[in-house]
Amino acid sequence: MANATLAAPEHEAWSTKLKDVGFWAEWAALVGLVVLVIVFQVLNPTFLSAGNIASMLVAAAILIILSVGQTFVVATAGIDLSIASTMTLGAVAFGQSYAAGWGLPLSCLMAVVASGLVGVANGVIIARGKITDFIVTLGTLSAASGLALILADGKPVTIIDPALLSLSTGGIGIFGWSVIIAFVVAVVAHAALFHTRFGTHLLATGGAPESATAMGISTQRIKIAVYTISGVLAGLGAILLVARIGAAEPAANTAFLLNSVAAVVLGGVSLFGGRGTIVGPVIGALLLIALVNGLTLLGVSQFYQPLAVGIVVVLAALLTRFQR
Amino acid sequence: MHVNTRGRRAAAVGAVVTAGALVLGACGSSGSADTNATTGASDTTGASAAAGTQTKIAAIIKGLDNPFFQTMEQGINDQAKAAGVPVTVQAANSITDTTGQADKLNGLAGQDFSCYVVNPISGTNLIQGLARLSVLNKTVVNIDSPVDATAAKSANVKLATYIGTDNVQAGKMAGARMTELVPAGGDLAVVGGIAGDVTSAARVEGFQQGIGPKLKVVQTVAANWDRQTALTAATDVMRANPNLAGFFVANDDMGLGVARAIANSGKTGKIKVISVDGIKDALEAVKAGTLDGTVAQYPYAIGLMGVEACQAAATGKPLPPDVKAPVELVSKDTADKALAATPKPFGAYDDPFKTLIQ
Repeated sequence: MANATLAAPEHEAWSTKLKDVGFWAEWAALVGLVVLVIVFQVLNPTFLSAGNIASMLVAAAILIILSVGQTFVVATAGIDLSIASTMTLGAVAFGQSYAAGWGLPLSCLMAVVASGLVGVANGVIIARGKITDFIVTLGTLSAASGLALILADGKPVTIIDPALLSLSTGGIGIFGWSVIIAFVVAVVAHAALFHTRFGTHLLATGGAPESATAMGISTQRIKIAVYTISGVLAGLGAILLVARIGAAEPAANTAFLLNSVAAVVLGGVSLFGGRGTIVGPVIGALLLIALVNGLTLLGVSQFYQPLAVGIVVVLAALLTRFQR
Repeated sequence: MHVNTRGRRAAAVGAVVTAGALVLGACGSSGSADTNATTGASDTTGASAAAGTQTKIAAIIKGLDNPFFQTMEQGINDQAKAAGVPVTVQAANSITDTTGQADKLNGLAGQDFSCYVVNPISGTNLIQGLARLSVLNKTVVNIDSPVDATAAKSANVKLATYIGTDNVQAGKMAGARMTELVPAGGDLAVVGGIAGDVTSAARVEGFQQGIGPKLKVVQTVAANWDRQTALTAATDVMRANPNLAGFFVANDDMGLGVARAIANSGKTGKIKVISVDGIKDALEAVKAGTLDGTVAQYPYAIGLMGVEACQAAATGKPLPPDVKAPVELVSKDTADKALAATPKPFGAYDDPFKTLIQ
């Protein structure tokens, strides 16, 4: 994935690469993940058991999908702070549709549509209104969670559906269906970002907006597109969330927002836009999940876990300073 | 303004337009409650005529995004309606909105309510507004979460009474039940709320007391009162402790997540789960057998007793300073009874205010 960035680095010898701090910065998430896996495995042999890997992957599925959405936005130098509450709104739309007897396929569609609309709104306001991403998505963060509370009247809806249950519990080998969906999303996203004209335009919009405009790229359309993608993926995450916990809850889960941004930063995506990978944030998401899983397996006190997560994120952010 | 529903919607809109919340909170004026209340609650009719003319209640509770406080609001509204007392209910935007809740109290403090029912998010976040109320000589009834005693004293806050559930007691009941379900010497895990949370800590402490030396807690994790987090944490904990025999979970929402984790790993029945709160979904889970028990606290009764305390204060009689709201253990045998009665307690309970307002 070395050619993933706009300025593709030339093929250097591996030995020189290893001495280059920029190389390590590029792969901070992977290095971190490998180190964590070794440490946890040494301290607790059940860490790499098939069962534990399976449960870590399932736990990571939603975060991977949200991180992919966040990556698209961050690659254009934006940020989607509303991603978690958009997912909450999607989950509530799902729950209300399901409770109204609309059936599973239509409920899933409603989740994606509701979340997608928030994304479109974000994109249109940011692109056409020329308002900072940060402020607009901060507003929709509040608006979407408020809408979710209004729609649901503050009450969770319990959803027991055999198909959803098998989505959350079934799978192939150690890969649950939800994580397979997440990986498919990541592969499609990778292809879209690096093997289509849309992807090139997107990275150009993030890296050099003036030049992109001069070349005839509609940066406004790209902006609307990335926020729509982010919203739609939040809707997909909502379906997996409902399947996972068996209920559609209007209470916002801010942890998903923070973790999605952390995963993107860990994945070496530049917050200034224009450069990034999909595989990076996916590994970043896995790292965050593995960290909490490992600390829990080791029985590390609950008070130390947030501290550990914070240190890892800040260290990764520091490393990205050395990116070329 | 139709306060009861209006106040709620105001709270919801507040989440959308954060800035507007303050204004709405302040404007949520009173006056909708049915003044010619019927004899729905026969035991309160005697007082309703007298109280209805003098008592005007404002209630400030925690976030309505949580079913616990929705039920509390229902208890407040039902009792106010039965007694023919006008009531305005305002809620914080969320369970962490400490400053927003304080702003709402300040907004209501300047109006002509005679009695304030408050459920503060933290022990101190409402102190400023409460001090103002005490200067104005208004009755303040503290429900659910206690106002910090030291802070209240130094700010000259006078509380008429405190009505709340004993979380330590609730944990104890869960612990005692766990010793019946799990053979002696079994390993247990505890899933708490946010790390450092007072309610969670009290419930866990009670649970430790309840199980005594017979059982051992091998791990404690924090799952932030969130079902998905609890599901993930429980999965990890089961992996780390293959011999685990039971979970104590600090609230029902997380308890349902833990039950799901156990079902996912095919250990339903082998690993016992007991949680606290008694929300409807949990009662149904207890009935279905996925949850082995829940210690039900009754926010409905807390809200109802809060309004009764205001009525009692209006009669001029001295109030008992510390009143315990009912706590009941719901097991599979009693789940049907509990479901039929919810949100009210299914057993008899002690209510000192009832006699005062008769």
